[in-house]
Amino acid sequence: MLKKKICMVGQFGVGKTSLVRRFVESIFDERYLTTIGVKIDRKDVTVGSESVTLMLWDLAGEDDLAQLNVSHLRGASGYILVVDGCRAASLNKAVELQRRIAGQLGPLPFVLVLNKADLRDRWEVQDTAVAEHGWPTFETSAKAGSGVEEMFLALAGKLLQ
Amino acid sequence: MPTDGADKPLAELRAILLGPDRAAWEAMRQRLDNPTRRAEDVAGVLAEAVRLRSRGHSGSHPDIKLRRALQPLLEEALQLSVQSNPRMLADALFPIFGKAIRRAITSELDGMLQSLSQTLEQSFSWRSLQWRWESFRTGKPYAEIVVLRSLLYRVEQVFLIHRDSGLLLQHVAAPPAQATAGTPLEKDPEMVSGMLTAIQDFVRDSVSGAESENLETVRMGEIEVVLAYGPDAILAGFVRGVAPRKLSRVFQDTLDVIEQKKAEALHTFSGDTSRFDSCRPQLQACLLGQGRPEERTSGSWGARALLFGVPALLVLALIGWWIYANVIERRWTDFAHRLESEPGIVLTHAEKRGSNFYISGLRDPLAADPASLLPASLSSNQVEFHWEEYYSLVPRFAAQRQLAELKGQLQKRAFRFTTGSAEIPPEQRFLLEDVASQMISLIQAATALGKTVQIEVRGNHDPVGAEELNAALSRSRGENVRAALIALGVPAARLIAVPEDIEKETCSAVKEEERLFCRSASFRVTGVL
Ligand SMILES: Nc1nc2c(ncn2[C@@H]2O[C@H](COP(=O)(O)OP(=O)(O)OP(=O)(O)O)[C@@H](O)[C@H]2O)c(=O)[nH]1
Ligand SMILES: [Mg+2]
Repeated sequence: MLKKKICMVGQFGVGKTSLVRRFVESIFDERYLTTIGVKIDRKDVTVGSESVTLMLWDLAGEDDLAQLNVSHLRGASGYILVVDGCRAASLNKAVELQRRIAGQLGPLPFVLVLNKADLRDRWEVQDTAVAEHGWPTFETSAKAGSGVEEMFLALAGKLLQ
Repeated sequence: MPTDGADKPLAELRAILLGPDRAAWEAMRQRLDNPTRRAEDVAGVLAEAVRLRSRGHSGSHPDIKLRRALQPLLEEALQLSVQSNPRMLADALFPIFGKAIRRAITSELDGMLQSLSQTLEQSFSWRSLQWRWESFRTGKPYAEIVVLRSLLYRVEQVFLIHRDSGLLLQHVAAPPAQATAGTPLEKDPEMVSGMLTAIQDFVRDSVSGAESENLETVRMGEIEVVLAYGPDAILAGFVRGVAPRKLSRVFQDTLDVIEQKKAEALHTFSGDTSRFDSCRPQLQACLLGQGRPEERTSGSWGARALLFGVPALLVLALIGWWIYANVIERRWTDFAHRLESEPGIVLTHAEKRGSNFYISGLRDPLAADPASLLPASLSSNQVEFHWEEYYSLVPRFAAQRQLAELKGQLQKRAFRFTTGSAEIPPEQRFLLEDVASQMISLIQAATALGKTVQIEVRGNHDPVGAEELNAALSRSRGENVRAALIALGVPAARLIAVPEDIEKETCSAVKEEERLFCRSASFRVTGVL
């Protein structure tokens, strides 16, 4: 039985919790209840012929008051950098977080997620700004469900390589 | 130069006078100029100098200037020492603090035990009796027994957790039938494992900061989580009840063994938990518990019932039957006493025959019916009476008998009339006084017994003659006799003239000569018995 720890990181309110709920419970909620500390969920997936238990650590988003506690990422096999397409600042935050995590834990597999794809016409985040990093990038909508499963499965696949 | 010539001898003189000292001065100068030498010199006397200074020389007060001078230095030095190597100071202080802390805790515990003891001293229950017995038997203080016996617990689940990732390596649980529901235990063990590590991280970050400070127990409602930490793994046990202290030791020892055996697998762990399957027996051994009383009863119920239940039931039944029999017997003896106190009844024998009761004796016919005296709680089916009749000398019965006799006598009296007449014939008038006095004594006797008698005066006629005439005749005959008796002093209220021809049938049957008796007025007494 394979188990992998995956962390959701990103600015507050970008949709980390929503993505996990969509993936695990297929539910979306318009209400915003900010995460305090950590919330842990579990999802069993099959990648190729192998079944993997993903332990999803949904970490509280960073805001002006609370810094991400990188120690929560210890032992993680990979992480998901979530960006709210409607907020350019959230991309900067993601870049900063990636640097910090890589600095403390070394190179770990991760993906960049541009969330709230259902609001694409209101996006502030520029494609070029994203592309310049050359990171594996996914567009998702926790609300509509699009891209969510693909994103998680892609990361899981990366972890098994 | 003349000075040259003059100097020379001076220098020679100087050399002669100071020659040996010069070398000493030179050496002294060098010592003062050379910092290394100077330090060596001071080092030689420093300890002695400090000692002198602190003691106070030549009888004066100890000098505090040195202390003042040293204080900031020492403080800074200590601070530096704590910052660079806290362990040393901690180790140095531990023997003092450790002992003090232990002593404080012990005395605190003692106090607690004592107050517990006091509160328990007064409480009384089956359990406390058992504990008291145990305390008496073992010689341990009662309070200690209570604490020991109250510390019931059960390790319901054990988690082996990868320390860094919080991933669950292995998990064992007590048989589900016994594990109680409705607790965090029902959650996915994988998530519980993660949450435990997250809590651990959180506490470490927010409360202490030093990595070595780990939570040893966490309480979640009814569940206590016992945690043991190794470099790469955490062993957590969910305990219902109060975890005894030895449990932490068991967990720590188990974890040490696992860490040792699986060091390689733990270091290189990348999600494959099958490498830890072989740890299950060790984890299972941690599912310890001290059975609660209610669990014990569920064990071998049948055997227990045989051992305790059946004899207990028998004893209960015996006691119940004994009480019941006693109550019944009491009722019968009460009843017998009641009969004995009843006037006109003499008990000669009363005994139990099987389930029935047998009573025999003498009974005045005027006495109360014994069966009617039976209380509702006794069944008349269960009693056998055997009565011999007798006349009691109880005054009430004598009076009653006299009354009955008077009644009988009066009812035999009659007045005869000639055919077609309602007048009391002159030859019968002398009877009137006799009958009147009989009536008066009857009424008096009845009044003495609290009774109200009524005397009917019945007028009769013979079957000869017209119906209407006869009816009038009987009415007049009765009324005439009544009036005559009232005139002689019989209370009018007690006398009723009854006109009906009650003896018509009888009279129609008899012969002419006998019809004489049908033309009469006779008496009937009511209200006597
Ligand atoms: N339209 C739209 N709204 C979304 C989407 N994902 C999340 N939201 C909304 O965004 C808000 C924040 O979502 P969360 O999932 O709570 O955000 P978070 O990143 O977990 O926030 P923190 O826990 O505070 O760090 C909620 O009101 C969600 O309903 C999406 O894909 N589309
Ligand atoms: Mg959240």
